[in-house]
Amino acid sequence: MLFRLAWATLARHRSRTLLAILGVAVSAAMLLDMVMLSSGMRESFRHLLLVRGFQLRLSPKGTLPFDTDATIADASGVIRILGGIPEIDAVSPVLGGQLHVARGATTVTAAAIGGDAAVQGDYEITEGREPVAPNELVASDDFIRAAGVRVGDTLSAAAGYDAQFRTFSGARRLALVGRAHFLYTANEQRVVALPLATLQAMQGRASHDRVSFFMVRAREGASVDSVLGRIERAVPRVSVISTEVALRQVDERLSYFRQLAFILGSVSLGVGFLLVTTLVTVSVNERLGEIVVMRAIGVARGRVVLQIVLEGTAIMLVGALAGLGLGMLTARYLNSILASFPGLPAAIDFFLFQPRDAWAALGMLVIAGILAGIYPSWRGASMPIAVTLREEAVG
Amino acid sequence: MIVALLAAVALLQQIDSSPPHRPPRTIAVDERLAVDAGVRLGDQLIVSRAPGGDGDTVVVSAFVRRRADPSEVARAEYRVRMHLGELQSLIDYGDRVDRFALSSVTPATTDSAIRRINGTAFGFQAYRSRDIAVETSRTFLVVSRFHRAIGVITIVASAIFLLCIMLLKVDERRRDVAALRLMGISAGSITGSVMVEAAVVAVVGSGVGLALGWVSTLIINWHYRGVYRTPLAFALVTPDIALLAVTLSLVLGLLAGFAAARRLVGMPPLELLTGRHDDRRPLGVERAR
Repeated sequence: MLFRLAWATLARHRSRTLLAILGVAVSAAMLLDMVMLSSGMRESFRHLLLVRGFQLRLSPKGTLPFDTDATIADASGVIRILGGIPEIDAVSPVLGGQLHVARGATTVTAAAIGGDAAVQGDYEITEGREPVAPNELVASDDFIRAAGVRVGDTLSAAAGYDAQFRTFSGARRLALVGRAHFLYTANEQRVVALPLATLQAMQGRASHDRVSFFMVRAREGASVDSVLGRIERAVPRVSVISTEVALRQVDERLSYFRQLAFILGSVSLGVGFLLVTTLVTVSVNERLGEIVVMRAIGVARGRVVLQIVLEGTAIMLVGALAGLGLGMLTARYLNSILASFPGLPAAIDFFLFQPRDAWAALGMLVIAGILAGIYPSWRGASMPIAVTLREEAVG
Repeated sequence: MIVALLAAVALLQQIDSSPPHRPPRTIAVDERLAVDAGVRLGDQLIVSRAPGGDGDTVVVSAFVRRRADPSEVARAEYRVRMHLGELQSLIDYGDRVDRFALSSVTPATTDSAIRRINGTAFGFQAYRSRDIAVETSRTFLVVSRFHRAIGVITIVASAIFLLCIMLLKVDERRRDVAALRLMGISAGSITGSVMVEAAVVAVVGSGVGLALGWVSTLIINWHYRGVYRTPLAFALVTPDIALLAVTLSLVLGLLAGFAAARRLVGMPPLELLTGRHDDRRPLGVERAR
């Protein structure tokens, strides 16, 4: 009966109810998007960092990986020291640089990653095989397209320019043995990967036995924090960055988006609350006569309140569910805008759907709907019956 | 005589072979670094290319404040300004630089200068400052597009909210409208009066919104300037933005008022009085009777 009465009241004002549901749906969509934005980047970045199982990064003291041009000297010595720590499962050295490939009168330049194919964590091979021999490399789709080459071709590549002698420096002939999907690079970035020793040799004396950073994987069951502590003690000239530290850095740099998400999410919740409060208040004012008649024939005050609260809750619930679909659509659109952020890994999602967060957002809206109905319904149900009846009857 | 000459030569050699005395070079320090590290003007610092490595002693001669550059705002790194030769020597960079900034004689000669440089350059390329600015501001174009999209969603939500409020306001005056109609007031006059009311609500609302927005910009700028330690303005209320907000609000208000008023004046006055118009189905309990 209670539900039937609430439904009848809502159905009586169809356009008003539909507009309210639409308003709540837009608020819910915005709230959902902002909840997705506030936690999405973080979770997406965490997933990216752990996708290949490396929990720790070692970079030159005071820097983040690839944040500066600084490198770690005596890389082989560091690998030896790390090899002596039994909790470490794998160490992947990475050296960054550039690779230039002459194509007619122009040069195609790509970011170059030097690593150990057996333990690398930077890319996944999509065609061909890993570059194992010193004269082999793999490349991203964008590089292959720009250079106009195919897997199996041999390229004349260089690591730099010698402006004084007007020649390329560190020139080599390299065989393209595979196509790779690079995990940490931006959209449309041209990238190649080749053996570490080859890139070091191409870069010359300045890069001899140097790397940009190491990725470290702890053994199954080993405490990552304990491994971190042991590395810090064993190699004090590097910064050891755990996934949590890296996430903190990302949080700091992208704090703007989290704060924006918080502010807009709160505004959405507030707008939804205000909308339902206004509707329920007006609805109660309009139906004062009906409400006091119900009270006069013996319907309990709590029951009247419950019926009106149910109306607000129903609007919020239906609006929130509609907002879920709308929110997913708008999140996809907004994500496509932010995905074009220069320099950001293509795999990062700003808006990541997580059921727990989505239900929390929608739950907040429904609670707001319940709260929005309580005061006006209580006020309506508490009107003096005789006086109100007389006023309503006389007009 | 010969002995004296030999002694003089030996003395000169001794003087030449002793390291020349060179006063420490000067360095300008980011004022944030100065605050965080407690550095004062005249302090002597040792700068090195790697932590704990050999370095050069320098004297802090100036503090520099970062420009309001949006592309640097999220980077919390410190900066120091050194003499070129000093930095080249410190990081073993040789006679190399990362870039040159050139000033052409007249703006008209810039293109020909770029062509000539690129025609002879090897391993480097000349760009217009404007092109570099466009490239480095891509981040902000993305943020700007994102803000615009959020703005559109907000406008949609506001429009629905406004329409809802106007519908309620007009609906609340059902009996008044019915009485006016029965007295012979035309539908156009009633619609006009509702639209005037809607316009007043929209303009007053947007005025309050502008004031709130202005206060918000003060809070946002104060907060983010503190967080990022930059003089950059993060939020601005410009006359264009204010005009757009008021115009949009007025147009939305008028449309909402018109839609709500037309809906009401389209019904017969007696139905409005009795409350039995098409949009109002009787309650379930009434049907049972």
